Amino acid sequence: MNPKRTMTLNLTDQEMVVLEELSVQKDLSKTALLRQALRLYQMVDARISRGEKLFFEDPDKQKAELMVL
Amino acid sequence: MRETIQIIDSQSGLPIDAEIFDEITLEHFIETQADWRPVVLDAARALSKDPNRATLIPRHYHWDWTRKEAELKMLALKFYGISCQGHLQGIMKVDTVARSCRLPEQQGKPLVYIDYIETAPWNIKLLMEPLGKRQQYRGVGSRLFEAAVLQSEEEGFKGRLGLHSLPGSEGFYVKECGMTPVGRDPHKQNLLWCEFTPEQSRRYLAGE
Repeated sequence: MNPKRTMTLNLTDQEMVVLEELSVQKDLSKTALLRQALRLYQMVDARISRGEKLFFEDPDKQKAELMVL
Repeated sequence: MRETIQIIDSQSGLPIDAEIFDEITLEHFIETQADWRPVVLDAARALSKDPNRATLIPRHYHWDWTRKEAELKMLALKFYGISCQGHLQGIMKVDTVARSCRLPEQQGKPLVYIDYIETAPWNIKLLMEPLGKRQQYRGVGSRLFEAAVLQSEEEGFKGRLGLHSLPGSEGFYVKECGMTPVGRDPHKQNLLWCEFTPEQSRRYLAGE
């Protein structure tokens, strides 16, 4: 197991509610969920930096580009 | 991560010490291209000459791990290797964000996705036979698969695991590992999507 470092994270009530809801929904601890979010953010950012675009497709196959800041 | 494990020496049938590690570098990818790929291609050529065995040509003969160099920096991706006697014997890439569970009872939950897993060609009996050689080691793929299950537990995914099986490996994943064959994926060359639930991975690790 790779060593891990600890940090304090300050969240608003609303952010904590969302974090807790997602944790239950995904059956993950809050730490694991935030780790997943960081990985996803890095992956998306790297691909957009390479000039790729991120799209969502609705059930009618309509594509909408997601602008990531 | 670097741990001593055991694989099987096919000649003697006895266990032999090997190392599993996740500090994969470009040099390991180059080793697969320089040392593995010529052997895989030779075996594929030999198999293609025999009409009865042409269907056995490995589907991964064109893989090029060196193209994945940029992925070594990605947190979502992890690479494992197994070395023995100074040579790379197997390599695997797993992804923790690109896919999620498809089985109804765990749909949408995160899993460890085995994106690529490859054993050195001299450890594949099917490839060595047409070249008139003997398989060197057994158990390399199983040890890599086991590492992915353990990672799923470490990540907090409770052993949930998924993969698209190449046609020649479906029996291994479904019958030997006990994965659920969920269905063919039209978005991935119609390969069979296989999945582990927490209970299935627990049984796998317990050897049940």
